[in-house]
Amino acid sequence: MYRSQKLAIKYMVAAISLFGVMTLAGLLSAYYYINPDFLFGILHFNIAKILHIDTLVIWLLMGFMGAIYWFLPDELGREPIGIWLAEILFYVFCAAVVVVAVVFVVVQYGGSDQAGLWLVNQGRKYVEAPRWAASGVVVVMVVFAFNVIATAISTRRATGIIAVLMIDLIPLVVLYLDAFPAITNMSHDLFWWWWLVHLWVEATWEVLIGCIMAFTLMQVLGTSRRIVETWLYIEVALVLGTGILGLGHHYFWIGTPDYWLGIGGFFSALEPLPLLGMIIHAIYDAGTHHMKTTNRPALYWMMAEAFGNFLGGGVWGFMITLPQINMYAHGTQWTVSHGHFAFWGAYGCGVIAVAYLMVQKARALPQVDGQLWKWSFAGLNLGLVAMVGALLVAGITQSMIERATGGSTLQAYIAGQESPWFSEAMILRFVFGLVFSAGYALLVYDLARLGRRRTVAQQTALAT
Amino acid sequence: MTSIHLLETALLLGVYVLLAGLYGLSYGIDRFRHRRWTQFAARAFYALHCAAAVSAIVWTPLYPGWKLLLVASSAAIFFIPRLTWRFLERTHTGEVHS
Repeated sequence: MYRSQKLAIKYMVAAISLFGVMTLAGLLSAYYYINPDFLFGILHFNIAKILHIDTLVIWLLMGFMGAIYWFLPDELGREPIGIWLAEILFYVFCAAVVVVAVVFVVVQYGGSDQAGLWLVNQGRKYVEAPRWAASGVVVVMVVFAFNVIATAISTRRATGIIAVLMIDLIPLVVLYLDAFPAITNMSHDLFWWWWLVHLWVEATWEVLIGCIMAFTLMQVLGTSRRIVETWLYIEVALVLGTGILGLGHHYFWIGTPDYWLGIGGFFSALEPLPLLGMIIHAIYDAGTHHMKTTNRPALYWMMAEAFGNFLGGGVWGFMITLPQINMYAHGTQWTVSHGHFAFWGAYGCGVIAVAYLMVQKARALPQVDGQLWKWSFAGLNLGLVAMVGALLVAGITQSMIERATGGSTLQAYIAGQESPWFSEAMILRFVFGLVFSAGYALLVYDLARLGRRRTVAQQTALAT
Repeated sequence: MTSIHLLETALLLGVYVLLAGLYGLSYGIDRFRHRRWTQFAARAFYALHCAAAVSAIVWTPLYPGWKLLLVASSAAIFFIPRLTWRFLERTHTGEVHS
């Protein structure tokens, strides 16, 4: 096994661990809606929410990095250049995540000055990490990009997937620099901040997960390189065609010019079309292979990704993307519902698929199957779907009572929060969050124990 | 827009995309199974998708530009599964012969 692949396993372990922290912080955040006095004066909702959404970003990022470090040496036939630096930075990255989490929980607030920005919290959603840590993330990303690009150049074997990956890594690093400016005009600040949040998620991450899924498809289903590369190019074209200007749907109601309503609405309304193509592709792959593979969990999680992306991004997104609807739904639990479903479908399922693939290869398992992964698959997906269903009801209630009827006054806000539709939906969200957590626990147990209990016959076969 | 209009319009738009997905799903299954019911399901889901589009055009307060976009999307959605499938078959067949 290459050193890069050993590093990949460490990244994936860290990613799955942070997935657990994210789930725990999500449960905590959900519980505050049921009991707002919980941990009053000790740990407030905003801190739990920061932990929830920041660990979301970091676990997915670590999962992506793990996946790339896993596939890269096989693809290029050599150890990545500068892997020693990546190995050191992995521990620095993990230590930084722990320190930032401790600061968030213990220190919580900083002053509105440079010390607060650098040492406690940058105050920008999704990228709250203090500047020293954000600078560290930039260093990690630069080294990651260097590992990929320098190795590809040195081997002179830039395959189609690697070429797309190399091009994608540049905006992946550059856009993160948008985490740093402290602009005092809120409209300007949000305008640029969305470049990071939207373009990372709906452009660079989409391409990155496309590359990862291309590698995974070749290994799980034995799909030929020519086919996956053709589809990767199509995906890149569609992402650039719809995703980039789809950025406009975040420019509603933040003080940007009116033309963004038309641009954002139009391009984001086109986004379900390529997702429909992805559904067709998933059915084709499943049908031609009769769902037969040596790694069923990986295949099922890949299928879950295609369908989850369509439902979360396509159906849930289309409900609220046109400006006339978005004016009422923006910033309510409706958006939260869409965000949960889309992130899970587009990225979470993909990273879990790669985790199963890595377990199979690392432990030299001829076949990965069993019962436990099915329970985990069911718990995570049913928990997630029920959670987003509950959030949808809560969000619709807010939009109808607080916005459309009450006109967004404070009194209307309170009326929305006190509606039984809202409060009972939030209870349901917490309950199904527990189901999701149970699914997570089973996932961890399954990944940890897969292949550990080999039969005597298997051990003999491996030994020979 | 009243609160009821908001609810109706948003849900209708969600159903519009969901039915497009179900059309794609049943179309794909039909290409493997070639059964009467799968063919019927694909046609029925597309018809329901069009019905959702017509409902959105007739009964919702969306601006005309968005309604036009729904019509254009429905036309595209009819062809997407067919074109994607044809392209998939062509790339995979080419692979076998290469």
